[in-house]
Amino acid sequence: MLPETFQALILAMRPQFPRLTAANSRPTSPFDESYNCIAWAANELDRWWWPDSQHQSYWPPEIPREVTLDAFIRAFSLQGYTEHSDAAIELGKQKIALYSIGDGKPTHAARQLADGWWTSKLGQQIDIEHDLTALDGPVYGSVARILARPAR
Amino acid sequence: MQSAQLQRQLNELTGYYALPASSRRDPLRERFRSLAQQWRRETQWLSSTTDIAMHPAYQAIIGMGTEALPMILEDLRQNSGHWYWALKAISNEDPVVPRDRGSLKKMRIAWLQWGETKGLIRA
Repeated sequence: MLPETFQALILAMRPQFPRLTAANSRPTSPFDESYNCIAWAANELDRWWWPDSQHQSYWPPEIPREVTLDAFIRAFSLQGYTEHSDAAIELGKQKIALYSIGDGKPTHAARQLADGWWTSKLGQQIDIEHDLTALDGPVYGSVARILARPAR
Repeated sequence: MQSAQLQRQLNELTGYYALPASSRRDPLRERFRSLAQQWRRETQWLSSTTDIAMHPAYQAIIGMGTEALPMILEDLRQNSGHWYWALKAISNEDPVVPRDRGSLKKMRIAWLQWGETKGLIRA
């Protein structure tokens, strides 16, 4: 994506992501609706993950189909993640940030990169890399939990 | 005055039916297009399948009932999108096998085949 195109997209996204700027984020993929942020955080590119009641999305069958932080933490625990107190980059650790809004409703997940930035799939839209607070706002809320596992 | 008005209405009616069927204004189709555009624009950043399906424009499309099915399937064929909740809600069927749930490409193929089998869209 051309820088000017991303700049225009950021402007269009201002109401949803008021903190997002070209300085704290960069685009890394074209539009792709095959996967969402939860799948992307779990390193999957061909399925949409969500615990919807109508079973239209993938959700690990052993985890309750509940839109709660607990259910999301349990889903990522299947990949070896546990709750962690610190979002700072740590050698030998892979981290995921879970975002929530309101009374703890999960909205989004981001995965930490080797340089300390985070990678996110924005809904049905593009992937971006960003700093941790760049997506705070009325759509995703803010980071509610940090998960970590030994780097693989 | 009244005859002029009647003549104008007659002209509009004649003009309307002189058009090929594909070019005529179809209020239902226009409403669908408008709702689908609004739904796409306002849910593009969401990951929650539930929030995507609970959007008021999407629910309005579900409320259009079986008349919406051909339009949804045509839109699915042309633009893809999270139409599966609506298709299932309206048709009370689900041709997607459980192992393919969440795989949007496979779900799209299953629903388009379903639509063709039901005669709702052309093969």
